[in-house]
Amino acid sequence: MDFTLIVALVIALALIFDFTNGFHDTANAMATPIATGAMKPKVAVGVAAVLNLVGAFLSTEVARTVSGGIIKEGDGGIQITPEMIFAGLIGAIVWNLITWLRGLPSSSSHALFGGLIGATIIGVGAQAVAFDVVLAKVILPALIAPITVGIVAYLATRLAYAITRRDAGKPDGRGGFRYAQIFSSSLVALSHGTNDAQKTMGVITLTLIAGGYQAVGSGPQFWVVACCALAIAIGTYTGGWRIILTMGRGLTEIKPAQGFAAETSTAATILASSHLGFALSTTQVASGSVIGSGLGRRGSTVRWGMAGQIALGWLLTLPASAIMGAFAAGLALLGPIGILLDVVIGTVVVYVLFQWSKRDRVSHDNLHDIDDAGHVVKIKKTPRKPSRKDRAKVAL
Amino acid sequence: MIDWAAFLVVAAAALVSSAIVVSLYSLGLRLLTTAGRIPMVEPAEFTGAITVLSPARAAKDAKRARKARKANPLTDNQKRLAQYAGYLCFALCGLIVLYGVYLIVPALHR
Repeated sequence: MDFTLIVALVIALALIFDFTNGFHDTANAMATPIATGAMKPKVAVGVAAVLNLVGAFLSTEVARTVSGGIIKEGDGGIQITPEMIFAGLIGAIVWNLITWLRGLPSSSSHALFGGLIGATIIGVGAQAVAFDVVLAKVILPALIAPITVGIVAYLATRLAYAITRRDAGKPDGRGGFRYAQIFSSSLVALSHGTNDAQKTMGVITLTLIAGGYQAVGSGPQFWVVACCALAIAIGTYTGGWRIILTMGRGLTEIKPAQGFAAETSTAATILASSHLGFALSTTQVASGSVIGSGLGRRGSTVRWGMAGQIALGWLLTLPASAIMGAFAAGLALLGPIGILLDVVIGTVVVYVLFQWSKRDRVSHDNLHDIDDAGHVVKIKKTPRKPSRKDRAKVAL
Repeated sequence: MIDWAAFLVVAAAALVSSAIVVSLYSLGLRLLTTAGRIPMVEPAEFTGAITVLSPARAAKDAKRARKARKANPLTDNQKRLAQYAGYLCFALCGLIVLYGVYLIVPALHR
């Protein structure tokens, strides 16, 4: 196989992965403001896209760690080949699309790590993967982070309601939390941009270094940064509406005060962790805080069935993308024909998934007509005249 | 193994900072409401989560807010004080958010 061709393939796939990453993670920042009506859906994803674009240019630190450490650390210092990265990316992309189709917010970074681990096991051997590092840096944080941030969001929601509580019938001004939501969700989107686009930059830089196109230990080049920023921004703007639906309405009914509390806890946790050099998955933190805020408001219910499905999705992410990455790596080992087969099979799978998604289209224009996440039911656009009981409920 | 100390620090920092931000903003809203300047922010789009908000309903809410403002027991000075205190809360909140942006952008603190 011509080395330059495989490098070009890896770069193309990495950018596609970056697109699915943005697409998947729009919900982390924008599901709650869309759910409370703080921003119109299209405006919200537009803001998130711009902030992701800006965020990607702001920092290249994470990219340096990826290209200089994590992946080599993951396989015990053995040189990873472009073919393995290629196979890992295929696994990650396919898993991202499957979870999107199911409307499950799953971690894109876990999919990427899983795909790379699977590809490395087939390509180099199981001894090349440092499983204790995987446990300490990927699996345990994934278990603990949603719970801690859930507690933080729960307390923040209780605080917000306690402070703004007034006698029944008096206006409490809680609608004012909608303005705050614009800022808190933007903060989440910006921090996402500075983190997630970096992972792809790191992968591309790693490939370029491995291919001898770039000096060892150097940071990502400008065109790499620009391409990744653009890919994640376009992905974000396209919006994974299914996941937005799950996060915004599938888990619990969100009111402005809850949305603000949840976004603030998400932003605070992510900022604190990345500032202390402790990578947490934005997706898991955001889901945990939505559940926490759902528990924090009196009279709201959390749909634990949906929460369980999401948790199952998280558990499956690493092994499932590892299996797909391993499969792709097995084919890639056959040589040029295997790589070609990988590309063909990957394209067919992606095409089938997209066709599948058309059966129950979810987008910004029909977002609010859908009764329940996962079950697409059209309801009447004009709601019935509210009963006295309903009107009492409106008082936020 | 996992660095439990770092994790605890992250959890504590997140708890303290989000509690401060949320309390400040809520307090700001509370003060504005007390001052009779009740923020009426209608949703940008009618979502499934919010049962119904017709224009008539919104007008009714606004009327309720006006009424509450008239029936306010505070003197004008007290109202003004509450209002400015509310703005101060929002400003503090904004400063903390700006600090968050400062933390995000490494070029600012490295």
